[in-house]
Amino acid sequence: MRNEDEILTLEMLIQLNQQQQKLKDELKEYFEGIMIPALRSELNDPKYFEGGGPEFKKAMRTMGSDGWIGLSWKKQLGGKELSPMEQYIFVETVMRTGFPFPFLTTESVGPMIAEHGSDWAKENIATEILKGELIFGIGYSEPNSGTDLASLQTKAIKESDGYLINGQKMWTSLANFSDYIWLAARTDFEAKSHKGISMFIVPTDDPGFSLSPINTLGDVRTNATFYDNIKVPDSHLVGEPNKGWSLITSQLNLERLALVNHGPIEELYKDVLKLAETTQINNNQHLTDLAWVKHNFAKVYSGIEALKLICWKQTWIMESGQLNMAEASVAKVYGSEFFIEAYRLLMEIMGEISILKNESSLMVLNARLERMYRTASILTFGGGTNEVQRDIIAMAGLLMPRTR
Amino acid sequence: MNFSELTHQIEIRDSLDKILTKHCSQDTLKKFDLEFKHDKKLLSVLSKNGYLGLGISEEFGGSGKDLYDLGILFESLGYHAAPLYLSGCLVDVAQTIQKFSENPIHTSILSSIVKGEIYTSAILEPYNQDPENPITNAEISKDRLIISGTKFLSELASEAKDILVSANSNKGVLLVLIDKEKLKLTKLSSTANSPIFKVEINKVSVDKSAVIHGEGRGLEALRFLLQINMVMRSYTALGITEKMTSLIASYTSERKQFGRVIGSFQAVSHKAADCFINLECLRLVNQQAAINLNTNLDCENDALIAKIWAGNTCHKISYSAQHLHGGAGVDKDYLLWRYCLLAKECELINGSVIQNIDRLGINITSNQ
Repeated sequence: MRNEDEILTLEMLIQLNQQQQKLKDELKEYFEGIMIPALRSELNDPKYFEGGGPEFKKAMRTMGSDGWIGLSWKKQLGGKELSPMEQYIFVETVMRTGFPFPFLTTESVGPMIAEHGSDWAKENIATEILKGELIFGIGYSEPNSGTDLASLQTKAIKESDGYLINGQKMWTSLANFSDYIWLAARTDFEAKSHKGISMFIVPTDDPGFSLSPINTLGDVRTNATFYDNIKVPDSHLVGEPNKGWSLITSQLNLERLALVNHGPIEELYKDVLKLAETTQINNNQHLTDLAWVKHNFAKVYSGIEALKLICWKQTWIMESGQLNMAEASVAKVYGSEFFIEAYRLLMEIMGEISILKNESSLMVLNARLERMYRTASILTFGGGTNEVQRDIIAMAGLLMPRTR
Repeated sequence: MNFSELTHQIEIRDSLDKILTKHCSQDTLKKFDLEFKHDKKLLSVLSKNGYLGLGISEEFGGSGKDLYDLGILFESLGYHAAPLYLSGCLVDVAQTIQKFSENPIHTSILSSIVKGEIYTSAILEPYNQDPENPITNAEISKDRLIISGTKFLSELASEAKDILVSANSNKGVLLVLIDKEKLKLTKLSSTANSPIFKVEINKVSVDKSAVIHGEGRGLEALRFLLQINMVMRSYTALGITEKMTSLIASYTSERKQFGRVIGSFQAVSHKAADCFINLECLRLVNQQAAINLNTNLDCENDALIAKIWAGNTCHKISYSAQHLHGGAGVDKDYLLWRYCLLAKECELINGSVIQNIDRLGINITSNQ
């Protein structure tokens, strides 16, 4: 009787089990090998913040040949078929290292092409993604279609042997070094909004493709992309015509969860803490001797603990196969808003030097904190704006009426 | 990793809900608003059904040591605003004795508690910011202790047989059981009309065997008591804020203005969604703290984090709920007001948010 009780208690512990901890250690060691100095210095170059440089490409190929791409893909498609918890650990470990892993290509687009693509796409695109050879940009948002994505207007007109694509996309991140765009376009103009959308693989070397950069305050480059009479063969359609919406929405939960992974903020917290403990101020004191500094650290720490538990719980829910819309939205809203608050609290601790971007003796963590705070606002509207998430929480979590 | 409740825990939750729904009707609660807030009838029902044995070993007639189970009891009491204050008895006295005493004189108390007898604690002191370092003093002379000091916020002191008191001595901190009859009790009137007392200890002499822990383990025992008290209080806070949030959801789904239910306005539903987010955070940090306390003796940071979330959540949800209800929220004929007052007591007793942030900050920065 007692024994059984003890086993139950062990199972209920809220921590990684031995296997999961082993995976985490293994991945940590692996990525230390990947993050060689040449790659690190390339990633510090604003041109290559999000990847796309020669060292980044080399690293992707290495990960491809070592079998670390396609972790969520089914085994029969050449993937690793990791459980949601193992995937979470992977994302966490990679994000802690700062490597700009192209998750959207490898974990969202890739498996959809492998499953729903034409024979051409399966052989030439899916396998190449697995090898780390191809990067995709995501062509969803448009100048007039953001939160209401189903209102998108980019057209794909059926012709005898393919489709003719015309339109414009916004916020097409990575498009400047992508090989293809994973493009949502309208194929049925009579059908109700989301029922007339199809998904296409559009090559960026087509003469009808062009882009103009959008430079953001976080120095994250994104792009407006233009599609001018681009002709693609039928083989570039993924899934059935007009059935693209389900391809867009599937995997959205994992994606949202990846956005608020607790790894990077915990890493930053630890690094700022280490720094504050060794930063000398007046009277031979260290920053951490000050009460208000301790308070800010405590606020960040208690926030990280809640974030970690929310993310783990959401992952655990996915493992058991239940979909819980309210909890996925809780993770998105809480995480994105907490990041903004946490960066603020950490910058307050370091004070005015947190804003500096040169002079290594003065910069805080090589200006990492300065850069991270600038990218934080993207997450409150990106990946499903927080207003829509709160609508979902009120409806699905509290059973309140639909809002308008 | 597992976030779900075990079958027996779901059963505890469901049947407690049935019992408390029956015993905490509006009429009953109204009656206790004006009286000494201690429902003896409910206490005996809980005892008969075995719920006073949650978190207590089978050896003493309890249902097992799982603190998560005990958390369900406090969450449920909070949810129903039950006129029953059991943290001094079931948490401070029972759990600390169970963990730190093997003396049958003390452990027999566990069996009495399961049967419905009240014991309580008197730990907190006015103006003492550090309960681990009591101002109350114990002089040790031969086999006796002479104890003097003033305690407050002692729950149900008038109903208790013995009261567990913390005191400093030349041998460090001691936790001592004192017969209530030797103490001067004054009922305090508080914001939620809780049955709490000031306890004056004036040169009270007790035998050394009244110390409930082994030699030199007093501080460890007191730290455990304070931590588990924080976690169980956070469970009470969870129940209180869950109820307030469900009141928000149902009220705003019915109340109409401008021709539509007010819950269909985003300004309203988003405020409610923020309550839901806070609740989810509190639930998870509580769960982590209770489960870690099951296996480790010292989980101070987990307990502090739970209490920090509890304090903030009590405050935020209380005011959101009052605001979203409009006048109904403060009307004493409706039920929300009672929860708001309870929330404030939960928020402040045994560490306010900023006190706990201060403590957590010291812990996480000093070990490096």
